[in-house]
Amino acid sequence: MKNLKILVSVIAMIISMSYQVVAQEMTAREIIEKVYNRSEGDDQTSNLTMTLIHKSGKERIRKIKQFTKDLGDMEKSIMFFQSPADVKNTSFMNWTYNDESKSDDQWIYLPALKKNKRISSDSKSDYFMGSDFTYDDLGDRKLDDDTHKLLPEETIDGVAYYVVESTPKDEDYMYSKTITRVRKDNFIGLKKEFYDEDEELLKILYIKKFEEISGFLVITNSEMQNVQNDHKTKMILSDIKINTGISDSKFTERMMMRGM
Amino acid sequence: MKTKRLILILLLIASQFSMAQNVDINGFARTYEGVLYDNSNFGIIQQTLNLNFEKMGDKVAFNANPMIYLYNDDSLDFRMRELYLDLYFKNFDIRIGKQQVVWGKADGVFITDIVSPLNLTEFLLPDFDEIRIGVIAAKIDYYVGNSTFEAIWIPVFTPTERPKPGSIWYVQPDFPVPPTWDISKEKITPNLKYSEIFLKYTALTSAIDFELMGAYTWDDNPTLHIEKEFGLDPATMQPGLLDLNIIPQHHRLTIGGGSFSSEIKGVILRGEAAYYNGKYFLTEDPAQSDGNVKKNYLHYLMGLDFNIGSVKLSSQFIQQTILDYDENILNEKTENTMTFLARYDLLRETMHLELFSYIGLNNEGSLVRPKITYDFDDSFSILLGSNIFVGDEKGRFGQYKDNSMIYIKLKYSF
Repeated sequence: MKNLKILVSVIAMIISMSYQVVAQEMTAREIIEKVYNRSEGDDQTSNLTMTLIHKSGKERIRKIKQFTKDLGDMEKSIMFFQSPADVKNTSFMNWTYNDESKSDDQWIYLPALKKNKRISSDSKSDYFMGSDFTYDDLGDRKLDDDTHKLLPEETIDGVAYYVVESTPKDEDYMYSKTITRVRKDNFIGLKKEFYDEDEELLKILYIKKFEEISGFLVITNSEMQNVQNDHKTKMILSDIKINTGISDSKFTERMMMRGM
Repeated sequence: MKTKRLILILLLIASQFSMAQNVDINGFARTYEGVLYDNSNFGIIQQTLNLNFEKMGDKVAFNANPMIYLYNDDSLDFRMRELYLDLYFKNFDIRIGKQQVVWGKADGVFITDIVSPLNLTEFLLPDFDEIRIGVIAAKIDYYVGNSTFEAIWIPVFTPTERPKPGSIWYVQPDFPVPPTWDISKEKITPNLKYSEIFLKYTALTSAIDFELMGAYTWDDNPTLHIEKEFGLDPATMQPGLLDLNIIPQHHRLTIGGGSFSSEIKGVILRGEAAYYNGKYFLTEDPAQSDGNVKKNYLHYLMGLDFNIGSVKLSSQFIQQTILDYDENILNEKTENTMTFLARYDLLRETMHLELFSYIGLNNEGSLVRPKITYDFDDSFSILLGSNIFVGDEKGRFGQYKDNSMIYIKLKYSF
């Protein structure tokens, strides 16, 4: 029995050392690549509830039904706005391409105007529905839009984190840098700090909950806090369904106009 | 009074029925007051209730959208904006009933967007979702990937609504002698052979979205056929024009056109064009006995949407050209117009600043529409705006100089 314990300890030590060697060899870019490329299935359906909280405590709630599908060389997503009342039945469709030279295609359907409009994907710095998330915060930022640098690792509450500083190559970008704490065991970026153009801390993104659904890790509860004006946005995903085989026809003008 | 009671009872019944059937109800209540700069008169005092009943299933859906406008003289304008049934199939959808149809890529300009006629009783001032008139039609959309073939049949023609005498938007036609009006030919008889057909092909692709359309329709605006009576003026005993008889009449139009939009380095480029075959224009050519001549006509637009920082900007250049023009035609050969839109959202999208303007390039007239909207919460908003008409008093915009106004709208959405 004693020999068995020693054997198990030795094997555990070897595995641990091997892991550390692999980990040490990972560059900051590779870590962020793993964060960006963490699979959430080929398709996903969910309900998104955003709660916008003013520093006075006043809350505004936005509800959205969303569908996404990974088609290999591109990802398509469609959102149907359910509340507040004045945006009900508005829909938004986005096609994102793996080809980094190709910008997203975006359309918005405005039910009052009965019109589907192509809109510029150039406004990624705009805040989404008055929340603390910009379109870029919510979308898949391209890996090589930033230069990534590894900072000293941290351990918080017994969990080990990589710490990566990402500096945008575009000097006019809305953030001067971001610092992301990435869990070493599952590559979820659990906390991310955003610094403004004056290199002052602007916002902090906290991942409050992630769940394993159909074998995939999905962030279900997050909060973005603007520390400069004490405003925050809570984002909760519910009714998540993964790999249900959403048809390609879901991501068309027909569905934008028809609704859910 | 009876009509008001009837409408109220119908709405109450509809609401009860809707709740029982789990029909989704949303809409808004709005108060809208405007004061003219010229004399401080109220240009408009209007209360609006917009109700939208909708029930959606996998195979069938229906929508009813009654709107009630109450004016300061206690007059009530009830409009069923839409009332239709949708049938969904695997590759095609059918919509039957009163519906609004919007085509094209232009904003605030109607080129290929000709299926639903316009309510111009308040010129171009109503919101664009309220300026169109629903038409009773059967529409079928057939889908192939990201392409759509659309066919619309409108059995009964609906013309443009124009301001009536007494309205501040009514412009008295300018004739050399007071005319008499013969409206016996103005109405199109509801008959199968007088129905309208519209066809459209739409493609939505990564590189470009485009539409191709064709229509066998009626001109929404009547041609004013003129009968002239010449003789000796009893007062001066000189020969001259004694009487004018005006006969408004709608005519058939065949229209072909298309539109596109595409993104180039963050800028949305839009275009739209339509060729009108056989449109009537007023002429002073003595060879044209009824004062009109039939010409082909081109109406097109190019537009750009772009952002400077967080300010959203949009501009369009529009040209209307009469082909094979002759100098006797009262309209100019080409009429050029521009539109300009700037919009800025602040305070977490609770405050919206907007400036929209039509600029007539031929007679240098314009309509400038600044407005500021503040959302007190997700349901309640206040809008303060102004409509400013400038330019030559005979021009398209300058003729409404006296109608420049400041206005306020309070809106509760539910």
